[in-house]
Amino acid sequence: MFEFNLLFIYNEAQVTRDGLPGMSGVHMNQKEKSSLLVIIPAYNEAESIEKVVDNLIGNYPQYDYVVINDGSTDHTGAICAEKGYQVVNLPINLGIGGAVQTGYRYALRNGYSYAVQMDGDGQHDPQFLEGMLETLEKEEADEVIGSRFLKKEGFQSSGSRRTGITILSILGKILTGIRIMDITSGYRMVGKRLIRIFAEDYPADYPEPEAMVIAATNRCRILEYPVIMKERQSGRSSISPRRAVYYMFKVSLGMIIRRLSLGFRRGK
Amino acid sequence: MIPTTLRITLCIAVICYFIVILHYLKNKMLELKYTLIWLVAGLVMGIMVFVPELLRWFIHLLGIEDNMNGLFILCFAFVILILMTMTSIASRTTMKMRSIIQEMGMLEKRVRELEEEKKEP
Repeated sequence: MFEFNLLFIYNEAQVTRDGLPGMSGVHMNQKEKSSLLVIIPAYNEAESIEKVVDNLIGNYPQYDYVVINDGSTDHTGAICAEKGYQVVNLPINLGIGGAVQTGYRYALRNGYSYAVQMDGDGQHDPQFLEGMLETLEKEEADEVIGSRFLKKEGFQSSGSRRTGITILSILGKILTGIRIMDITSGYRMVGKRLIRIFAEDYPADYPEPEAMVIAATNRCRILEYPVIMKERQSGRSSISPRRAVYYMFKVSLGMIIRRLSLGFRRGK
Repeated sequence: MIPTTLRITLCIAVICYFIVILHYLKNKMLELKYTLIWLVAGLVMGIMVFVPELLRWFIHLLGIEDNMNGLFILCFAFVILILMTMTSIASRTTMKMRSIIQEMGMLEKRVRELEEEKKEP
């Protein structure tokens, strides 16, 4: 599936062009470098991070990964250090947007062709990675979003949340002409072009719907791929009911402003 | 017309204002770039105090009847302008800080890897 050697040479060239001097050798010694980087943002996920990463290493060793420890105040960092995970420790909590963007920067710097973000709380099952990657390659898409609403299996979120997601999804359709059913899904895989764009510019908090507008306004091809999500194994959603109103307002405004400020790029 | 006593008070206030800004600048507590807007605001205040005819003309141009009200509205407009500038500066600083933190995280990882490589052989 991967042309390792060719990719490797290509990646090295890429790195020297993009990376800082002296940053070119960042890769793992133990194994051949993969073309896909799994970005695992983790903020206070001490209870689940081990399970998530061990599952990935054990069952999907063909993919590289990096844990972005977003200034956790619990033992997340200590666990990662102890287990020898690939981890980037952010000294200050940046929020999910800043953490994920770190992953994209890391992917760009180390010359990965594809990057996928996968939550550190165990909601996203890595068994869909292969399918998503295949779709991305076969359909020549720029982004594949793991959607729990295409097949309506697994954890479907509560009714009020689904309403919110539908509203945002319709807003996305109005703004960009592309209907993404699960627009708030954080399980998304992108190709080289979007790695570059997101490394440069990624929304700070509640980034998913806004990021979709960025991708669409850059004329990217966005697809949805049916996945089954689990209920989070631990921790709490960053969106409590009280913040839902704020969330909806902020995200809608963010999407509209993105659409206004970017405009459609003409051609590719 | 602005009463003479008030003009004197405002005069003193503007002078104090400039002294404070100069003090900050001299002791490098303010960056000149960010002080420009304050200096411009002070200059406009000074002009308004020293040439009240100009102020009166401008206030009537805006359609405000009372001179004192006009003065307050102008002051308020300046405060809002300065606050917006501050918000913009804070936002830019936040963005820069985010980049630095991300770079730092990646560098820390690189350093850790190099240390391990050094230990191994």
